[in-house]
Amino acid sequence: MIEVKKVNKSFTLFNQNNAKITVFKNLNFEVNPGEIVALKGPSGIGKSSILKMIYGSYIIDKGAIIINNKNIATLSAQEILKLRKTSIGYVSQFLKVIPRISALDVIMEPLLNSGDNKNNAYKKSIKLLKDLNIEKNLWHLSPLTFSGGEQQRINIARGFIKDLPYLLLDEPTASLDSRNRDIIINLIKAKSNRGVSIIGIFHDEYSRKKLNVREIDLNIETKH
Amino acid sequence: MIIPLLKVTNLSKSYDNIVGCKNISMSLYPGEVLGIVGESGSGKTTLINCLSGNLEPDRGKIIFNTNNKETDFLNISESEKRKFIRTDLAFVHQNPRDGLRLNVSAGGNIGEKLMSVGYRHYGNIRSLATKWMNKVEIDKSRIDDLPITFSGGMLQRLQIAKNLITSPNVIFMDEPTGGLDVSVQARVLDLIRSLVNELNLTVIIVSHDLAVIRLLADKMIVMKNGTVIESGLSDQVLEDPQQEYTQLLVSSVLHV
Repeated sequence: MIEVKKVNKSFTLFNQNNAKITVFKNLNFEVNPGEIVALKGPSGIGKSSILKMIYGSYIIDKGAIIINNKNIATLSAQEILKLRKTSIGYVSQFLKVIPRISALDVIMEPLLNSGDNKNNAYKKSIKLLKDLNIEKNLWHLSPLTFSGGEQQRINIARGFIKDLPYLLLDEPTASLDSRNRDIIINLIKAKSNRGVSIIGIFHDEYSRKKLNVREIDLNIETKH
Repeated sequence: MIIPLLKVTNLSKSYDNIVGCKNISMSLYPGEVLGIVGESGSGKTTLINCLSGNLEPDRGKIIFNTNNKETDFLNISESEKRKFIRTDLAFVHQNPRDGLRLNVSAGGNIGEKLMSVGYRHYGNIRSLATKWMNKVEIDKSRIDDLPITFSGGMLQRLQIAKNLITSPNVIFMDEPTGGLDVSVQARVLDLIRSLVNELNLTVIIVSHDLAVIRLLADKMIVMKNGTVIESGLSDQVLEDPQQEYTQLLVSSVLHV
């Protein structure tokens, strides 16, 4: 379960006349195992910021975010690294990789880093690449040369390859055609059926409906 | 409870009246990569020179915990310190010419390092050297060539092989991709990253290139005027910097 309790977040931009931007005050919600929660609201309202706070990429100014009985707001850097490795998958909006590394290696890396053996990691990654409908001739190429939709699917593969109890998805279906969107929706459903707690940002009504999400409207949640 | 591999407390070093680094405290855990960023003169190099035994700090404590043994780095005899540096630490210089002997063959450079930690059997040394040439993507037919015949990128990869071959516990890297062409940089970065993952290396890397830190480092510290002004997970410091200077650094990066 993920619990977001009385969270405040603001940004101070020192180099722009110390402008202070308040994103949330007193944000509360929770996500149960197997549940898919969709964050809703216009762009700029802080949907991605929530995912980043849960992942530890953004500082939590006030309040608590509890995962595995641990409060992200008070964990040390190495504790967060460990929690990410064992528990939290994060699919960002854009793929960030080093040139030269093949799509297959990009996907295998999280498994190898957690001590999975090469053969096993290879088999799992190949299966996922096939499930994701990525053509075989692309597997050994760097994803930096791929189309937007292909990059997106490699990014999803990297986030989905491990069996982790929590998944954070930042617009996972954004740049996909309808066929590939359905493939991703089914993968997300499968994760949810296995009890994974999922928080996502889904731009389209279709995905939200198909995934049977519980919506959290940030317009309402953050107006106090 | 995991014990930090390296624990630094209140480390300071000045040059006469000029502050090198001041009251630095930090911990590094096994398998972590720590990035150090900051402008020229901020004390990055002073700090890693103190930690790697190239400089004697004025004050502070440096404790290494390697092979289940605690080493109080600033309170051991000179000979113990030299031995510790040889067996447990490695230093990759920005300019590979500083870390290699150019009038000794490539294989000789690597072999010398092995001999310094006790290897004597010529056949073993040569086969290990060949294996490492391969690991850093240098053709093994070049093993008897002098480094002066190597390109900049090859030299850097040779220096990396020489440093990693003895399985050191902590590896220091000072701008390892600093002097290289952009195309060569990506290759060396990729190599460092795959070796870090494969061998679970613990690394402290100094760079003024935030992209290098983002790709390689788990944690980072930002230095200014000899002190640490901000530290944390690399993605957190780069995406949600809390200090004015760090915000300036991050916002000054050009995106292509």
